[in-house]
Amino acid sequence: MPTPLLLLSDFAAWLLFLAALAYAFTASRREHLRAPWRRVRQQPVAMVAAVILLAHVGITLLDSLHFAPQAANGTEAEPEPLSVLDFVLTPLRTGVETSYSAPFALLGFDRESVLQADGRVAREYPRLRYGGAHLRDPAQWWLDILQRGAIGAGAGALAGVLLLRLLWSAQCRPWRRCDEDPAGRAAALTLLLLCVLAGLGGALATRYHVFGTDKVGMDVLYQSVKSVRTGLLIGTLTTLVTLPFALVLGVAAGYYRGRVDDLVQYGYTTLASIPGVLLVAASALLLDGLMTRHQDAFSSLIVRADLRLLALCVILGITSWTGLCRLLRAEALKLRESDFVRAAEALGVRGPRILWRHLLPNVMHIVIIATVLDFSGLVLAEAALTYINIGVDPGMESWGNMINAARMELARQPAVWWCLSAAMLWMFVLVLAANLFADAVREAFDPRTREATPSARPAGT
Amino acid sequence: MMGYFVRRLLYAIPILLGVNVLTFALFFLVNTPDDMARMQLGERRLTPAAIEQWKVEHGYHRPVFWNAAQTGVTQLTDTLFFDSTTRLFRFDFGKSDAGRDINADIAERMGPSLAIAVPVLLVGLACALTWALAIAWLAGTRLDFWSGVLCVAMMSISGLFYIIGGQWLLAKLWHLAPISGYADGLASLRFILLPVVVSVLASLGGSVRWYRALFLEELSKDYVRMARAKGLSDARVMFGHVFRNALIPILTGVVVLIPSLFLGALITEAFFAIPGLGSYTIEALQAQDFAVVRAMVFLGSLLYIAGLMLTDLSYLIADPRVRLE
Amino acid sequence: MSDRLLQIDQLCVHIGDQPVIENLSLDLKRGETLVLAGESGSGKSLTALSVARLLPAAAQVRAGRITLGDTALFGLAEREMTKVRGARIGYIFQEPQLALNPVMTVGDQIGEVLGCHLKLRGKARQQRVIEALAAVGIPYPERRAGEYPHQFSGGMKQRVMIAIALAGEPELLIADEPTTALDVTVQAQVLALLKAEQQRRGMGMLFITHDLGVAWQVADHLAVMQAGRVVENAPRDRFYAAPEHPYSRTLFAALPKLEPQAHTAPVVHDQPLLEVRNLAIHFPVRRGLLKRTVASVKAVNGVSFTLQAGETLAVVGESGSGKTTMGRGILRLLDLTDGQVLHRGDDLRQLSSEALRIRRRELQMIFQDPFAAMNPRMLVNEILQEGMLAQGIGGSAAQRDARVRELLVQVGLKAEHGLRYPHEFSGGQRQRLCIARALAVEPRMVVCDEPTSALDVSVQAQILELLEELQQRLGIAYLFITHNLGVVARIAHRVAVMHQGVIVEQGPVNEVLFAPRHPYTQALLAAVPRIDA
Repeated sequence: MPTPLLLLSDFAAWLLFLAALAYAFTASRREHLRAPWRRVRQQPVAMVAAVILLAHVGITLLDSLHFAPQAANGTEAEPEPLSVLDFVLTPLRTGVETSYSAPFALLGFDRESVLQADGRVAREYPRLRYGGAHLRDPAQWWLDILQRGAIGAGAGALAGVLLLRLLWSAQCRPWRRCDEDPAGRAAALTLLLLCVLAGLGGALATRYHVFGTDKVGMDVLYQSVKSVRTGLLIGTLTTLVTLPFALVLGVAAGYYRGRVDDLVQYGYTTLASIPGVLLVAASALLLDGLMTRHQDAFSSLIVRADLRLLALCVILGITSWTGLCRLLRAEALKLRESDFVRAAEALGVRGPRILWRHLLPNVMHIVIIATVLDFSGLVLAEAALTYINIGVDPGMESWGNMINAARMELARQPAVWWCLSAAMLWMFVLVLAANLFADAVREAFDPRTREATPSARPAGT
Repeated sequence: MMGYFVRRLLYAIPILLGVNVLTFALFFLVNTPDDMARMQLGERRLTPAAIEQWKVEHGYHRPVFWNAAQTGVTQLTDTLFFDSTTRLFRFDFGKSDAGRDINADIAERMGPSLAIAVPVLLVGLACALTWALAIAWLAGTRLDFWSGVLCVAMMSISGLFYIIGGQWLLAKLWHLAPISGYADGLASLRFILLPVVVSVLASLGGSVRWYRALFLEELSKDYVRMARAKGLSDARVMFGHVFRNALIPILTGVVVLIPSLFLGALITEAFFAIPGLGSYTIEALQAQDFAVVRAMVFLGSLLYIAGLMLTDLSYLIADPRVRLE
Repeated sequence: MSDRLLQIDQLCVHIGDQPVIENLSLDLKRGETLVLAGESGSGKSLTALSVARLLPAAAQVRAGRITLGDTALFGLAEREMTKVRGARIGYIFQEPQLALNPVMTVGDQIGEVLGCHLKLRGKARQQRVIEALAAVGIPYPERRAGEYPHQFSGGMKQRVMIAIALAGEPELLIADEPTTALDVTVQAQVLALLKAEQQRRGMGMLFITHDLGVAWQVADHLAVMQAGRVVENAPRDRFYAAPEHPYSRTLFAALPKLEPQAHTAPVVHDQPLLEVRNLAIHFPVRRGLLKRTVASVKAVNGVSFTLQAGETLAVVGESGSGKTTMGRGILRLLDLTDGQVLHRGDDLRQLSSEALRIRRRELQMIFQDPFAAMNPRMLVNEILQEGMLAQGIGGSAAQRDARVRELLVQVGLKAEHGLRYPHEFSGGQRQRLCIARALAVEPRMVVCDEPTSALDVSVQAQILELLEELQQRLGIAYLFITHNLGVVARIAHRVAVMHQGVIVEQGPVNEVLFAPRHPYTQALLAAVPRIDA
């Protein structure tokens, strides 16, 4: 019986997920929160992006349930902890070749010394151990891929349709109504497409290396899928760290003005004037030093890598709260002149309660917009930071690491392009989806683009 | 006017002090001067005497913030912090932990950074403005829509991809430019072509969207409706009225970036092996050369504050509402 | 050339699926002024924009024709229409602050029209610009032509707008509420200017306003609009003598009636409830981003008065007189620069912040804009209870709920309304909620800061009635800040007239309004548009 293992980042991920659910629940009860999200819901592009993002969230959550598998009898070494996702992707995880191989290839990329049947040693492209190893006749390669692909796609489509049926019936909405809901239709189609892709992947990836293998023979598709969690966590946990600072300091500075304002302004000007990368780098090196000195405190490599990831989120969070703080301060300055705040003051309501009840709820739209906008920037930043060795642990799967390792591969003749492309492509899809979703959110939440509420004054006629 | 600038400069001092304190705290939390000496001297020459001598040479023999051995004011002044801070304010950056003269290094490496950063800024601005202006004119058409899609796509591609892709495509495949490296003088043109093209492309998507939004916001204002009511042609409204008004926030947004040009884009310089200030800083970070990092952070902060002042100045020049009272 | 200048025929305009103008037909002859009157939302501005073909993108013309002279305007291509705008149609917008390009000099903005339509360049153009500025009454036109809009006062900016509109020598002048944003005294001058220019040039003028008093001064014909339709169209004299349509009659009823009214004089106590001595509130002026203190705006500059329990003191003044600032200052919602505010003998300025907080219970405020005065994210229940919670009164939660229900009924709403959000109510209802909120803490004095100005005419009377009734029942004193003299006549016992931060005259209502002594009060009363019918 495998023993469950809770990593700190797992805990954070699930906490965040539950918090998001709680927010969704409270938002559904409040009209002023329901209305803008409803507007987002009606945009087809936003819904497609949302489905893609949710799929990534699903992958992340699957990857955030770790357990320590039982050691096989007789082995000395303690096996590395696995996640549920690792378990699902076992064939990809264990199908490790010796070195590079192109996508869908049957042969390795580099020549190796192979012992021939007649005792001679020849340098030729070796047959892969796992990729296409089931093919008795290499010439049947095309047919095999097509067959498997068709079966996989078909199975995926079937699963997708069943899933949609389930969701639809859960929403109690009749099939006929889908004409009036282009956004829902788009979302459904996307879900279907993703299921088909998953089916394709499942059918093909178990027998071939769909994205090839990297230098140490690791399946690139596996690496890409595992990197999702890293990217997503960095994009979201960082904001978790940023929020308290930016919210409290920004709103307090805007409301109280005077010395509090001066202090906060001094704080964020000082922090902002230090070039961001330098601050992150310095903090990361600091952390490195600390970790090296306390090597023994970490029970395993995965725990150490995990802590480094969390530390990176914290560092990025602490160094990037200044932008949001400035925005919130400006908004709070405006809000404090509004009549309802004055009315609260006239009633004798105390300062902290005014901050909590009047200012905070009315700046949340800025927080939401900023959070969603920053997500894509952070995912991209991770890749850049890893290049200068201040990103995540090299042992952890991340797109930054993939790009870093793959950089020199393009210089080879012939070039090894698949590792880089896989990482870039996947990152592109995620960031694009995030950007498109962020656009829709910003439009829905920005009070300037909002339509007038029912009994508001009509525009000057 | 003079009073304003003097006040701004005075305000800069506590900020720079704060920055310095932060830098010191960060570094000395990790490495004691002993550790630093050990790292720089290497294993072979490691004797207690050598360590002490290294420390004296670089001024690390004194306590960091507070000298308990002394009395009175010297408790504060005979410290590493005080000494280095006063020297920083005099722009005397001293010697790096490895023994090089920092001031000379900075002077030497500033050139390549500027050689890349300035063209990127100018070319990027020109391209982005042209595109955004054209698109704002055609707002609502299919061209606008597809241009928007292209911008989002360009924004969603990692900067690394532009660099690596650019290197592979233009340098390796088409041999239009060298992959990396730098040379002085006129020969540098060959070497800056690729970094400039790549950097401009990487930032184009985001800039165009931002400028387009600014133009569209101006277009929705009352004075545009008034200009149309006067019977002015669309072209005149766009260029004579909208562009001039939108230029104010655009200009101030650009001007604030000018000082940071000196530091260069760290990643770009690293990838293209440009011997600029950016790569200088990265190398120092990786070597944990505290003296250099200290100097670069100080310089960076100074330039940031200069950028803020330049922004105010540009408001003054561009916006008559601020200029005249 | 026929006499008819502008003809609008069965105009239909929709925004989305909503019709905003329906089957509108109007005629305008050369040299005449047609006033399009109506309340906000009636469609009058959209009508004017349709003539110039400047409708916002969301609005579409579904049917109808507009003819200017011999030209059918809807049939023109956009390029030809730009030649019509400015040259044949001059447009004056409501808010000169927003309609003038802030980064272009005034002279350039006038010169643009000259260059575009009259093809003037160089010296001839510059000469014309100066003439245009002089014609609208701007002193030192040579110098001022090189200045920017923000360097002109509100009235001057509107004159510049008029100069721009007239520069192209148009046949038709469209003026969309040109004096609404101006002070009463300036309004009279601008109206006179418009009328004079119209006579001189023989233009037709389409004048839009919601103020029947203003309409009287400029109209030859009057058309009343309601919900996108013209409900009455008549020559001025006939209209003002006997308006036919019921809606026109309600508009008439909304005009301020300055008639002496009988008030029961309140009991005078030894110690007034509120006594203000030499109150001064100065704001440092910091220009732009330099943040230099160049001067002080003396918003309130030495104001003294008393307020007895149970009485209504009206503070009258134009925008910029300092009355709103004073109202907020008395409640110490702003910092006071000098003077004393004695409430029941205690100087509010000397109280500690905690003592002041508790004292606030007795001094409440009702704001001008009911839409902005309540937190859109709080339930009505919570809004009304907030004061009770802050002051520690009202007992248990159940008791507070009961009190809230009671208050809602008191102000004319239903008890169930507590479970709704503010945006679900109309303007008048929201103002009632604000009154309920103020009443919740049982104040002795309420500062009413233009509580009816943002409401529709028909609703204003109801709110005033409510306030009067509450005063009679609960004995609350009101400091009633307004610019509307009709409201003053109706509701106040005493009145103080404010001008540029000082009180120029105060006394019982009937004395000040009907036998004013100070020249400013006299000018203010004379400038109120009245109908000599």
